[in-house]
Amino acid sequence: MNKLPREEKMTTQDINTEKEASRMTRRNFLGLLGKGAACAGAAAGAGGALASAGGGAANALGGVGPTFQQEPEQYAEARKNPPKIPNYNWTEHKWAFGVDSNRCIGCLRCVEACKMENSVQMDRNHTRTWVERYTYLEGSDHALVDSIHDLKNVVPASKETRFKFDNRYKNAKVAKSFFVPKLCNQCEKPSCVQVCPTGATYKTPDGPVLIDTKYCIGCQYCVQACPYGARSLNLVRGTAEKCNWCYHRITKGLNPACVEVCPSGTRIFGDRMDPESPISLFLRNNRVNVLNPDMGNMPNVFSAGIDKEVI
Amino acid sequence: MHKHIVRLLTLIAVVAVVAASARYLARQDTFFQYGHYRGASVAQIAAKLPKHQGSATCEQCHKEIYAEWVGGIHRKATKDNAIQGVVIKSGPGCEVCHTPAGNHPSKEPMPLSTEDQVTTITHKWENHPVNAPGRKLLRAPEDMRLLCANCHEKIPGRPLRGKVAGEGVPVQAVTDVVGIHGVPQIVIEGHGGDEICTNCHNPHSPRINFAAVPRPPSDPNTGKLIPVSAFKSGDANAGKAVAANCGACHGVNGLSVNPEWPNLAGQHADYLVRALNAFKAGARKNDMMSPMATGLSDADMRNVAAYFASASCKSTAADKVKADLGKTKAETAGCAACHSSGGLNRAGIAGVSGAQAWPNLAGQNAAYLTVALKSFRDGSRNHAVMSSVAKTLGDADIENLSAYYASASCK
Repeated sequence: MNKLPREEKMTTQDINTEKEASRMTRRNFLGLLGKGAACAGAAAGAGGALASAGGGAANALGGVGPTFQQEPEQYAEARKNPPKIPNYNWTEHKWAFGVDSNRCIGCLRCVEACKMENSVQMDRNHTRTWVERYTYLEGSDHALVDSIHDLKNVVPASKETRFKFDNRYKNAKVAKSFFVPKLCNQCEKPSCVQVCPTGATYKTPDGPVLIDTKYCIGCQYCVQACPYGARSLNLVRGTAEKCNWCYHRITKGLNPACVEVCPSGTRIFGDRMDPESPISLFLRNNRVNVLNPDMGNMPNVFSAGIDKEVI
Repeated sequence: MHKHIVRLLTLIAVVAVVAASARYLARQDTFFQYGHYRGASVAQIAAKLPKHQGSATCEQCHKEIYAEWVGGIHRKATKDNAIQGVVIKSGPGCEVCHTPAGNHPSKEPMPLSTEDQVTTITHKWENHPVNAPGRKLLRAPEDMRLLCANCHEKIPGRPLRGKVAGEGVPVQAVTDVVGIHGVPQIVIEGHGGDEICTNCHNPHSPRINFAAVPRPPSDPNTGKLIPVSAFKSGDANAGKAVAANCGACHGVNGLSVNPEWPNLAGQHADYLVRALNAFKAGARKNDMMSPMATGLSDADMRNVAAYFASASCKSTAADKVKADLGKTKAETAGCAACHSSGGLNRAGIAGVSGAQAWPNLAGQNAAYLTVALKSFRDGSRNHAVMSSVAKTLGDADIENLSAYYASASCK
C-alpha cells in the first residue's frame, strides 16, 4: 500500500480541502510541467516523423543542410570542400529508399547480393538487409514472424545459394501472409551516431549513415542503440556492420546492389532532390509509412503495404 | 600549500598537457572537418569497387546467351514497368541468378576495400567467398532447382495475381495470367517429378511454348483438372501372365522379334503404362496395339509394365559411323536434355531418361526409333515436345540418332 501514489490514498475530504486552497502547490506545478513536457515531446516526435514521411527532411534547405550533430560552419565546409569523390558532390543529393511490400516475393536475392557486394559474413546472423515474413494464421490476431535468422530458412547442403524461405505453413491455414524487406533506415536523427564514442559513425549530408571502420573499436554500443536492429558486429572485421545504401555505388551513379538485383521492383531507390526520380514518384504516388515513427528517429526508408504489426 | 594539493595540481596539469598535446598530435587533420568524424573516410568508403556490374556488362562477351535472355520472359519481366507513375526496373538480370561479376574475366581476387582491410587485435581477416580468386559464376546443376524455387515455389506470402500450377490449373495457364506483381508459382510436388528445372526450361528464357500440348482432361464446368491418380507400381509376377499375350511380338523376355517393334525390357514402367493407356484411349493408334490395349484393365497394365521394366535389356549393334554422327546430333537437337538426363541420381547417362514418364532409348531397336521419330514428324503420333523436335530432323538425322541410341549401353 505504501507504494501507491498519494492521490489514491486521498479521501474526498482531502481533495476538497485541496480545492479550497485554490493555489498552485509545488506538486501541482511540477505535475503540470511534466505533462506539458510530455505533450511537447510527443508533438515534436510525431510532427518530426510526419514531416519525414510527408516529404520534408529535417532541415529547411529542401533536404540538404547541416545534418545531425553538424555545426553550421562544418556544413559550410562540407559545401565548400566536399570529399574528393569523382563526379559527385554530396550536397547536391538527398537519397531515400522505398520498400513496396506488396510486390515482395521473398526470393532473398537482395540478401545474398548485399552479402556479396559488401563482403558481409555469409552466415544467417549477420545481415545488412534482410527479409521478414509475417504470417497470420486463421483466427489469430498476431503475426508469426520469421526471417533468414531462422535455421529453417537456411539451405544447408547447397554450394552457392544459402537462403530460401521454407514452405513451413504448407499444412497450416494461413489467413494472410506477406514479406517485408528491412534494412538500415539511415535516420535523420540516428541513435547510433549519437552514442558512438569514437566518431566512427556519422550522418552525411546526402543521407546515408556511414561507418569509418578504421575508427570503429567494436564496442557495439550502436548495435544496442539502434531501435530497428539494423546493426550487427562483423566478427571477421571486429567492427560494426550496417547497410550504407552501397555508398560506393550510389556515388558512382549506380543503384544499391539490392535494388539492382530485386526481380520484382520491391526496392526503390533515388534522389529526393530530383522530382522525377523513382523514389520521388514512389513517395508521391503511394501512401507510405516509416517503421516505428514514435521513436523519433525520422527514418529515410519508406514502406508501402505493411501492417501495423510490422515494427 | 599542502604537499598533497601540490601533487594533485601537478597531476592535473600533466593530464591537461598530455590531453592537449594528444589532441593536436594524435588527431587526424580531417577529424572535425565536417563533423565529429574523420572527413577523409567519406572518400575512402566511396572508393570501394562495385561488384555487381549489370547485365549490359555480360553482353560484351556472352552475346548469344544475352540474346536468349533478351528474347525471353525473364527479360520481359525486366522491362521498365510504369506503375502508378513509378518507373521500376525489375525482373531478373544476369547477376540475380549468377553471382555478381566482380572482376569476372580475371582470375585474380578483387582488391580489398578499406573496409575489408580492417583487422583488429582480436579479429583476423578471412577471405570472403566473393573475393576468392577464379570464382565460378556458372551455377551447379544441383543448385538450379533451389535457385528457381527461390522465386517460383508457391508459398504463402508471395503476391499472387495468377493461378497456381499443379492445383487444378494446367501449367500453361499460369504464365498467361500473372500480372505485374506476381511471378509464376509452382507447387513443386507433382510438377516435374525428380527432375532439375533446367531439364525442360532454359533458365535464360524459361517459358516453354505449350500451345501444342494436349491439355490434361478437365471438368468443363469448373475448369478443374479431373484427378489422375499417381503412378502405382504393379506386381511383376502377376504381370507375367499378361505378358504371355505380348510375347508373340515383343518377346517373352521383352526383346522384340521384329526390329520395327520396340523392345520393352528395362523400360520405365510409368512410360509403358502411359503408352498402353494412350492406345486404349485412342490418343495413340496402331493396328495391332490398339485392340490389345483395349482388353487390359488398369491393374493389368501396371502389372505387365512392372514385369517388362524388371526384365533385363540388351544393347544392339549398330553402324558405328552413324552412331557417332547421332551422338553429336543428340546434343545439338536437345534429345540429351531429357533422354540422357538420367534424373538427379544418374545424370548424363546416354539414353536413360530423367523422368519415369519418358522412355529410355538406350538399347531400343534402331528401326523402331526411326519409325517413332518419323511418325512424330508427320503428325501421326503427337507429343508436345517430341512433335516439335522431330520436325527439325532430316531423314539422315533420324537414322543417325536411332543408331546412336540403339547402340548405347542400357545397363
